[in-house]
Amino acid sequence: MKKVLIVDDSIAVARQLEKILTGSGDFEVAGHAKNGAEAIKMKQTTKPDLICMDMNMPVMDGLTALRTLMAMDPNAKVVMVTSLGGVGDKFAEALRLGAKTVISKPFETEGVLKTLREL
Amino acid sequence: MAVKFFGQFLLEQRAVKQEDLLKAIELQETTNLKFGATALAMGLISLTAFERVHDAQRLEDLKFGDMAIKLGILTEEQVNQVLIRQKNNHLYIGEALVRIGALSSESLKHYLEAFKEDQAPYIVDRIVIPAGLPQPQVWEICADLTFKMLLRVAGLSTRPSASQISDRLDPVFLVGVMPFKGTVQGRYALGVTEATRLAIAKAILKEESVDGESEEVLNDTVLEFVNIVCGNIAAKAAQMGVSFEIDPPYTHFASAGPLAAVAGERILTFPIHVADGDPICLALFIHG
Repeated sequence: MKKVLIVDDSIAVARQLEKILTGSGDFEVAGHAKNGAEAIKMKQTTKPDLICMDMNMPVMDGLTALRTLMAMDPNAKVVMVTSLGGVGDKFAEALRLGAKTVISKPFETEGVLKTLREL
Repeated sequence: MAVKFFGQFLLEQRAVKQEDLLKAIELQETTNLKFGATALAMGLISLTAFERVHDAQRLEDLKFGDMAIKLGILTEEQVNQVLIRQKNNHLYIGEALVRIGALSSESLKHYLEAFKEDQAPYIVDRIVIPAGLPQPQVWEICADLTFKMLLRVAGLSTRPSASQISDRLDPVFLVGVMPFKGTVQGRYALGVTEATRLAIAKAILKEESVDGESEEVLNDTVLEFVNIVCGNIAAKAAQMGVSFEIDPPYTHFASAGPLAAVAGERILTFPIHVADGDPICLALFIHG
């Protein structure tokens, strides 16, 4: 079973994603970080197989955290989560920095699981 | 179910690989030159004049072409020539993918059709915006996507009233506020009743009942709804060349009093009634 670290300042979104992941039987939640800075710390302590990280967060946004995470571990599997509909610059920047893909909110359960299973 | 770009749609459909999409984006970036670079390439301005326009843009919020006209570097006709060149040479992401061999022309046609179908629900209908506000099309999108998302995400049928300019928003219960900046600057605010908050919470958490949920979680669902709406607005605005960059949202409670405009802001309100008569309000605090 793959361990997923959820990074989102919204408890509601984290809960929703956790429900989708645990309900699948293929994933377990390694932890919930509320911003990019927490994610960097928790990556080291929880050693997740995948990281699902929001783009727009207080303290440290997703792209800043992604840059650090990829520098720490170039093999990290990070999926960015956004409601921004792949807005041009941010979308391309996330892929350039090493994100595996970008998934949209609101979540579509099957789409999220299919994406994560392929990583 | 969201406004999205064609590239993201193709990734979601597994029609292209991430690395091919990146290559295509890079090809787009080298092909689709910015206004100043296009004017340079056309020999209409010198590098010195180019830098002069750039420097002046730091002091005054004008587009490159408008600033070049103001400084007497380009004529209006030359600006139009540059715009036409940019339009004619524009490379769309689908074409870029075909050029690098990541997608066939036939597949592109197929996915463009599927994309159109996917995005059809997000086509903006005409909403009347009072005269005198900057970038009225952005506020149309804000209102339109709010109504659509209330229905599609939260299952709330709404009956919007005519928009009006106000000097404050009087919250009934709770307001989810999201600041934005970029081409337009201000705050998006959605005031909801307790009943609407419950409906949004059930939809966001995908639960039949949210009776046991804490106030923090319930309020957070309203913020997440606002986040989803504003994210979609940002995507739609970007398709029109308007940047609408969102910052993390926050709550404002009725107990804290009205939400007033700050200096330089005007408030455009859209009173909304949901099907059961519950009043909610969209307020756009527009700077400038």
